[in-house]
Amino acid sequence: MIDFINLYLVPGLTIGSVYALGAVGISMIFGILRFAHFAHGDLMTIGGYGVLTAVWFIPLHPLLLLPFGIALAIVSALAVDQFFYKPLRKLPTIYTVIASFGVALIFRSLAQLFWSSGNEVFISGVRMPVVLFDTFRISELHMQVIILTLIIAIALHFFLTRSQLGRAMRAVSDEPELASVAGLDTERVVRWTWVIGAAMAATAGVFAGMDTSMHPNLGWNLLLAMFAAAVLGGIGKPMGAIAGGLIIGVAEETATYTWFSDEAFISPSYKSAVAFFIMVALLLFRPQGLFKGRLL
Amino acid sequence: MKKTTYALAMAALLASGASTLAADTKLGLLMDITGPIASFIPPLQNAANLAVQHVNENGGLLDGQVVPVYGDTTGSSQGAVDAAGKLINVENVPIIMGALMSGTTISAAEAAAIPAGVVQISPTATSPAMTDINDNDLLYRIVPSDNFQGQVLAKMVLDEGIEKVAVTFVNNDYGVGIGGTFIEAYKALGGEVVAEVKHEEKKNSYRSELATLSKAGGDALVVVAYAGDSGSKIVKQALEGGLFTKFIGTDGLRDEALISDIGAEALASSFFSAPTSPADNPNQARLHELYTAAYDEPADKPFVDQTYDATFLALLAIEQAGSADRGKMAEALRAVASAPGEKVGPGDWAKAKALIAEGKDIDYDGAGGNYDFDENGDVAGVIGKFVVDGDVYKQIAIFE
Repeated sequence: MIDFINLYLVPGLTIGSVYALGAVGISMIFGILRFAHFAHGDLMTIGGYGVLTAVWFIPLHPLLLLPFGIALAIVSALAVDQFFYKPLRKLPTIYTVIASFGVALIFRSLAQLFWSSGNEVFISGVRMPVVLFDTFRISELHMQVIILTLIIAIALHFFLTRSQLGRAMRAVSDEPELASVAGLDTERVVRWTWVIGAAMAATAGVFAGMDTSMHPNLGWNLLLAMFAAAVLGGIGKPMGAIAGGLIIGVAEETATYTWFSDEAFISPSYKSAVAFFIMVALLLFRPQGLFKGRLL
Repeated sequence: MKKTTYALAMAALLASGASTLAADTKLGLLMDITGPIASFIPPLQNAANLAVQHVNENGGLLDGQVVPVYGDTTGSSQGAVDAAGKLINVENVPIIMGALMSGTTISAAEAAAIPAGVVQISPTATSPAMTDINDNDLLYRIVPSDNFQGQVLAKMVLDEGIEKVAVTFVNNDYGVGIGGTFIEAYKALGGEVVAEVKHEEKKNSYRSELATLSKAGGDALVVVAYAGDSGSKIVKQALEGGLFTKFIGTDGLRDEALISDIGAEALASSFFSAPTSPADNPNQARLHELYTAAYDEPADKPFVDQTYDATFLALLAIEQAGSADRGKMAEALRAVASAPGEKVGPGDWAKAKALIAEGKDIDYDGAGGNYDFDENGDVAGVIGKFVVDGDVYKQIAIFE
């Protein structure tokens, strides 16, 4: 049981938090701009490298330097929106989807060019986990990741339900024509969607990079699971994306627990499939996702 | 250093793109420049460029100069086929040096080089699967097959008095090949494999795999994986979880990135196997001297020797064949690599060129060994045992 918490549940929540923060942006962009943003994983990578660069120059804990990564990701996101996506917005969305594939490759190549293709770590060496009550061995980073993700989720919830801008976002996501007729500034909503999506992507990128190491493929490797999380939670529903991310992260890890015998229930080699199995199974019975998102 | 490598690689790319003189000959260099073994590559590009430089400064190749053309496999099978296809069909190279990973080498050979009749010589691909490929005598390598490394590693582990191990290997040609041979050899020698788990690359958490492995209670964890991908994550997460403290790795894990990632202290009781050069090889000393003089950095990095030798052998084969005719490369490669013949070593291009011009048989003995190919294009080799010493690896024993 202790093993279950230490080696399956907590790591599952950690990777789930990464999926969740990445999926928020994917879900919001899908809801408001109506296209699948395939460059979102690589936006995470860019954010991660922003913090990595700050760590080289400023001797502080990487999490305190998060604003540098967030700023870099936001600038990158707004720039690609301005130069790549905006000109295509009037065309069928498939053009933008394919453009986002291209942007993903551009981000990855830039990361390779500026930061090299090797692995880099934020802090060298092994950090021993904190031992609580002689039984729980939980890494400090995992606690930080899970707590910060919960704080971000709560803040996001209040932003979307209480602030004027947040309500405008939900309105555009639910009924774009009506929102536009009602006089909402759609371009402003789009800008803020990128800002929030990019900020969360950068945070997720740093979490993932600190848990393992930074490399140019970091975000791309996580992208499919984040899409699964966004779809599971309901397209256009940020809180759904958070729930979806956590569910998929925990399901992936705990599916490999020795539930019924001494053998792993599902061989760890196949754990990536769990995310998609859950997604497909849910879509069969509830096509709009957990939080009643948009039907595609 | 990295910038220099990029500059060199870019220069090489630009040079290849620019109009080449009619008498110049292209050499295909297929490397896994990006992807899981990216951190190995910069010194290897230096090594290949050094071989090219030695040729161009000492009389050139055939009637002109040699122009290196790089292809990046991106560390994936698909990328390897694309890059090899470009070298063969667009650049029209007579022979290919590379790739480095087993998986990319095999894909490039099966889908591109063998159908086109191009000789491919890999400095580092170790998968046993390569031995049995139906290659029309086109696929060569100058490192011993993992059949050999796996057997030696099994012996090394038992010599240390470790009789119960858990084994995890990455699910690709490299991991499955060497993992399988190790397990078989270890059991045959009387060791007990208490748990074996195959894992996938590119995951963030390997804790569930490690939980399964540690439950069985082995004395050490054998990790067959690349440090740049799953390898160092597994070691790190095992240490953080307090699951294993002693690790045994193969050449893929013996990457300096592992030390910078984990720290030397935590790896103090671990050891690694990797193909190495025979003890007291004057040709290795000679190459290392040349390399250090050219790049102002130590040459005892993994596979620098083999990459230089493979590049040099490919160039010798072209010179021996007397033209850039693809059909003559296999025969020429065997002629210059194998005994008998007058001995030449690293950097001896002028001598080799003169001997070939006189019609004499030559035998290249490289920094990494003698390279006498058997009928499968494989070589026998030497495996070293390495431990961590400060920021680098130190060789403490040699197994022939």
